[in-house]
Amino acid sequence: MPDLTPIFHFVSVILPFECLKPEFMQQALIGLMLLAPMASAMGVQVVNFRMAFFSDAISHSAFAGVALGLIFDADPHLTMPIFGLLVGIGIMAVQRHSTLSSDTVIGVFFSGVVAFGLAVVSRDRTVARDVQRFLYGDILTIGQADILCLMALFVALILFQVWGYNRMLYVGLNPVLAEAHQVRVAAYQYSFAALLSLIVIFSVWAVGVLLVTAMLIVPAAAARNFARSAGSMFWWALLVSLTSAVIGLILSAQDWAHTATGATIILISFAWFILSTAVTRMRRQEQ
Amino acid sequence: MELANIMDSQTTGNAVVFNGVSVMLDGVIILDEISAIAPCGGSTAIIGPNGAGKTTLLLALLGQLPYTGHIQILCGAVGRRPRLGYVPQRLAFDRALPMTVIEFMVMGKQRLPLWFGTRQPYRNRAMDLLSAVKADGLVSRKLGALSGGELQRVLLALALEQEPDLLILDEPASGVDFQGEHIFCELLEQLRHERGFTQLMVSHDLATVAHHATHVICLNRKVAAAGPPQEVLTRKNLATIFGIHMGLVDAGSIPENGRPECASCWEKTFHA
Repeated sequence: MPDLTPIFHFVSVILPFECLKPEFMQQALIGLMLLAPMASAMGVQVVNFRMAFFSDAISHSAFAGVALGLIFDADPHLTMPIFGLLVGIGIMAVQRHSTLSSDTVIGVFFSGVVAFGLAVVSRDRTVARDVQRFLYGDILTIGQADILCLMALFVALILFQVWGYNRMLYVGLNPVLAEAHQVRVAAYQYSFAALLSLIVIFSVWAVGVLLVTAMLIVPAAAARNFARSAGSMFWWALLVSLTSAVIGLILSAQDWAHTATGATIILISFAWFILSTAVTRMRRQEQ
Repeated sequence: MELANIMDSQTTGNAVVFNGVSVMLDGVIILDEISAIAPCGGSTAIIGPNGAGKTTLLLALLGQLPYTGHIQILCGAVGRRPRLGYVPQRLAFDRALPMTVIEFMVMGKQRLPLWFGTRQPYRNRAMDLLSAVKADGLVSRKLGALSGGELQRVLLALALEQEPDLLILDEPASGVDFQGEHIFCELLEQLRHERGFTQLMVSHDLATVAHHATHVICLNRKVAAAGPPQEVLTRKNLATIFGIHMGLVDAGSIPENGRPECASCWEKTFHA
């Protein structure tokens, strides 16, 4: 495994905060710097596709992922992403071929997956206590292997976004129109669902099941308010998510705060969102 | 006269052939054994009462619905798939999305993500198309801030960007005011002559159809009648399809040969 220590050291040089001295904080920061842009870039499309509920269902499949790990005696770091991926692709397939409305399809999957996870996990007292970790997330325990996974995912995501951002906007705007105009809608939808599932599962480790959707949605929602074009929406989402991640991590580590990192990050991006609504209101008054 | 020659060469043959097309959704027969054609280079109108399956037929043609039977699209150059342009009835989209008209026009062609802006060649091409539909003034407007008529023209420009062999329009004039509808009709006819595509549109306005279509398919789950407008739009046919309360056009006023007046184009004829 390649040694990532130089990168961690670099972080403590450019951000000379006292709280960033321990290596676990540096790892957490690197993890967030990888995760936040991914989540926000995907979030832009999650908002366009109205898939907030979809990402919620994936995040809750984390419980079932842990449960499967227990049953097959496998590492949850492996079973969670694999199971999340299957659920994501499964929902997309049912959604595309079913006449039921998409929130019904997702709702059905959602409850099935959560019930399965809780049923298995509740049998085991020690693991049941561990479930709390997934509810609130724990970025501070992120390891080097996780960071390497995130880096690989980061590369895949950049390739996907560079190749598909414009076409994804097309599909998000109206899939029938996009398909009539030679956009391969199904291919984009499935690859998007797959990538999103993986990012959601990784985000569960960072901010927890309860706040994953916020990590995707809030920067994108703020970006919609700030941006005046579909291109700049992407940069705004990136700005909001990265600043929230860094500020949130540092604030949460202060002695006077001592709050959960995930929750603090989301609070900062929520503040961004409030600011963005004020900006839109001011713009409207100008017109 | 050159235009007339082009038109002549294209009116030979069929652009679209529906052969025994049936669509059943949740046990309800929406379309029953539809067999019809749309001639190459012409303007075919699909008319019928609400619930007749007009939009369903278009969606089947676009491959968006499962159907039995065969649909063939035959127009276009030999050796490649025919290109389609589609103008939906009402574009269901999120009006809060910050997207400018130029971005909308470019997103289907430019690969470089819009984060890096729009590239000159794509921008120029989009501008040409927007000018062709008289929407060049809208280029930096937000998509969500367009009126019904403006959006309709931008959607037409987007469809033309495909250089379509077949342009499919679903009630293009719905939600557009009288003046807008008139302009849209004229524009479509002019573009069809310039670019030589085959036009297939669903319409609810019999008067417009009577004036602008070269071929009419009357639909009411089955094909009730099909052919040139003066043969199809007879009082007897219309009464059968729409019932006695049609009231949209006085079929008796349609002359035996030659094209009848279009209500929305009346103004222009009057001034001419």
